Amino acid sequence: MVFELCIRSARALFYLVLLLPVCVGVMGIVLPAVGYFPALGETEFSLTAVHRLLAVEGLPKMVLLALFTSISATVIALLCTIALLAQFYQRPALQIIQHGLSPVLAIPHAATAIGIGFVLAPTGWVARLIASVTESWQLPPQSSLLYDSQGVAIILALAVKELPFILLMALGVLSQPHLKARLAAQFAVAQSLGYQRQTAFIYAVFPVVYSQLKLPIIAVLAYASASVEIPLLLGPQNPPTLAVAILQWFNHIDLSMRLLASAAACLQLLVTAGAVGLWLLAERVAKLFFTGLVVNGARGDGARLIAFCAWLTASVMALMISVFLVSLLSWSVAGYWPYPQLLPGSVTVQHWHTAAQALADPLANTVWLAGLATPIAVVLVLLFLEGESVAQRRQRRYFTVDQVLFIPLIVPGVAFLYGLVWCTQWLLPGHVWLPTVVSHLIYVLPYVFLSLAVAYRRLDIRFINVASSLGASPWQVFLQVKLPMLFAPVMVAAALGAAISFGQYLPTLLASGGRLATLTTEAVATASGGSRRLTAVYAIMQMLLPLAGFVLAWLLPRVLFNPAQRHHTGAK
Amino acid sequence: MTQAALVLDNLVVQQQKQTLIRLSTCINAGQIVTIMGPSGVGKSSLLGAIAGLLPAGLTCEGTIWLNGQNITHMPAYQRRTGLLYQDALLFEHLDVAGNIAFGMPRGNRGQRRELTQAMLEQVGLSDMAARPVTTLSGGQQARVALLRTLAAKPAALLLDEPFSKLDSRTRQTTRDWVFTQIQEAGLPALLVTHDKQDALATGDKIIEVTPC
Repeated sequence: MVFELCIRSARALFYLVLLLPVCVGVMGIVLPAVGYFPALGETEFSLTAVHRLLAVEGLPKMVLLALFTSISATVIALLCTIALLAQFYQRPALQIIQHGLSPVLAIPHAATAIGIGFVLAPTGWVARLIASVTESWQLPPQSSLLYDSQGVAIILALAVKELPFILLMALGVLSQPHLKARLAAQFAVAQSLGYQRQTAFIYAVFPVVYSQLKLPIIAVLAYASASVEIPLLLGPQNPPTLAVAILQWFNHIDLSMRLLASAAACLQLLVTAGAVGLWLLAERVAKLFFTGLVVNGARGDGARLIAFCAWLTASVMALMISVFLVSLLSWSVAGYWPYPQLLPGSVTVQHWHTAAQALADPLANTVWLAGLATPIAVVLVLLFLEGESVAQRRQRRYFTVDQVLFIPLIVPGVAFLYGLVWCTQWLLPGHVWLPTVVSHLIYVLPYVFLSLAVAYRRLDIRFINVASSLGASPWQVFLQVKLPMLFAPVMVAAALGAAISFGQYLPTLLASGGRLATLTTEAVATASGGSRRLTAVYAIMQMLLPLAGFVLAWLLPRVLFNPAQRHHTGAK
Repeated sequence: MTQAALVLDNLVVQQQKQTLIRLSTCINAGQIVTIMGPSGVGKSSLLGAIAGLLPAGLTCEGTIWLNGQNITHMPAYQRRTGLLYQDALLFEHLDVAGNIAFGMPRGNRGQRRELTQAMLEQVGLSDMAARPVTTLSGGQQARVALLRTLAAKPAALLLDEPFSKLDSRTRQTTRDWVFTQIQEAGLPALLVTHDKQDALATGDKIIEVTPC
């Protein structure tokens, strides 16, 4: 059976992609950290690198900054999510919020950082608005949240990025067929017992949702504790967060700094583990406190406060995204634009021309990388899910994967990617595309799986039964029934996968050794050095590309595998 | 002794070693045997066992003979046991003709098309070939579903409450038509229902099952 063989190899490959690079990568930083780095002639085990790291000035500050920003951002994003859900659960507004926030998910971290930077900049649009309305701030303000030493700008950007993710994951849990009706009923019961709707949601529904939300939250927390783009573009530089410092040490001209960087990457693993550990601890404490709160009989606790927080969150997000877009758009076409004028003195398309010339190659690379990584991921995920459904029918146990999926998302990229690069350079010297595509695949695969699994597992099994009883072999059922029926979710998963690939900064930079420029690497490079106008163009391009993918994913299922469309055009 | 077309020899469906339903029966070509009983006794699981499509967690024991061949351990798609549910379950990514062609064995393209058209004409749906299935009425969908099943040239038919979602008028005409088709095709059929009218309309053997 060829199909059976395909399914088996896809399954093996699936786990290989998720686990092998991470394991190899971690090995590749642990060994140099303890002094073993043959490329530099270091073969004696020693703790010199660790001692050097501990002697670095400002190291505690770097670690604390990483912990503080990541935990604060996640707490804020989670609390805002709870407030939004509690206030708008089972109300039409929730759908509006969902539709409004979904696109934010597809904006790459780099573009988010650039946009927030524009919002907060002392000569940015907000400052100009205040200046033109209030007569104060006629000169750009001296202090700004940008690059502040406490990392408030980082927290803001991380929270803006995390909120839609946590919210959409929660909505996914709430819409699960076996939970939806039960939770709605329990919500109704709690209200009939005299609890206000906000309190009823938090007491009766949210605990169930949280238990399934835990892993995604830990993933965003882990990501935040080691993220590079946002602190690099918005955070303090002296000292920066640990992850940014690692990036600088690894890229240092002095190659011996690599040993120090490896030791720091190991420390980053500990920091991320520490952030997750602190979260789990806080969760326990919160649970103790919460249980007492739930059964104390108070029924209207904080309903007003929750409503206020929900509306505040919704308005701040809406305002932020609007200012973000307006800023980017106006800077991208701005000619001469002195402070504090609200609008540019002149409009020009020159920046777009410059960008079009400079970005031809990076754009092609970006599309190629996504075009290679995404189809591989989609095929692997489809075959994996098919294997799962076949195993279920044959009453065989199938190793559940959902936890494994989060491994590449939890282990910091800034740690394992360097080790991985070191290994691939040793095994495949001179290769650029292969390691880069693989490093993209590591991140694309989990998201494609998360997006596709729900629809795949939800498909009415009777369609498959009917097809088999009509004589269709498993391969035919897969190809002629399942794929066409799931065409729309497959396209959405592919668009998401492509969006994830488009946004990758660190994997592209490291795996290609800086030799493959993409839209994202160019945007970060321009933002940290060059012109604000060109940066705006790059950030907009970064948002347009995933948008194009999602539009395609929305359009294609209307045309393909849709007899209604054919019938309609035939009738004309 | 001439053997019946479909023979269930002490067929038992189990859920974790616990017996859900047990049945031994012979069904001749053209005969429709009805299984009646309250919901939850595993009537549908029994059909699943015969079709080779038991849901996860259920197992079966015993032997299933179809035209003298032991099909107990055959994969579902080789058993040639046509299956009809209460929903028509037409594939929405295919039009009406496409659904019927899906059931048909491989062959000459023109012949397949002619055969599809002939089948549709037979049931008064000849102008519907290119229609999206979602535009069909419930009764029309039920007819297309049976045509699709018959196109696959099954050796037996398994009907899982196939009329329960139709309104009372469509229900009777569809039922009569389905039963006539089965008798004309000379197929052994097993009907699962909790509707007395359906059972009586077969004019054939009725087996009442009770929870084990």
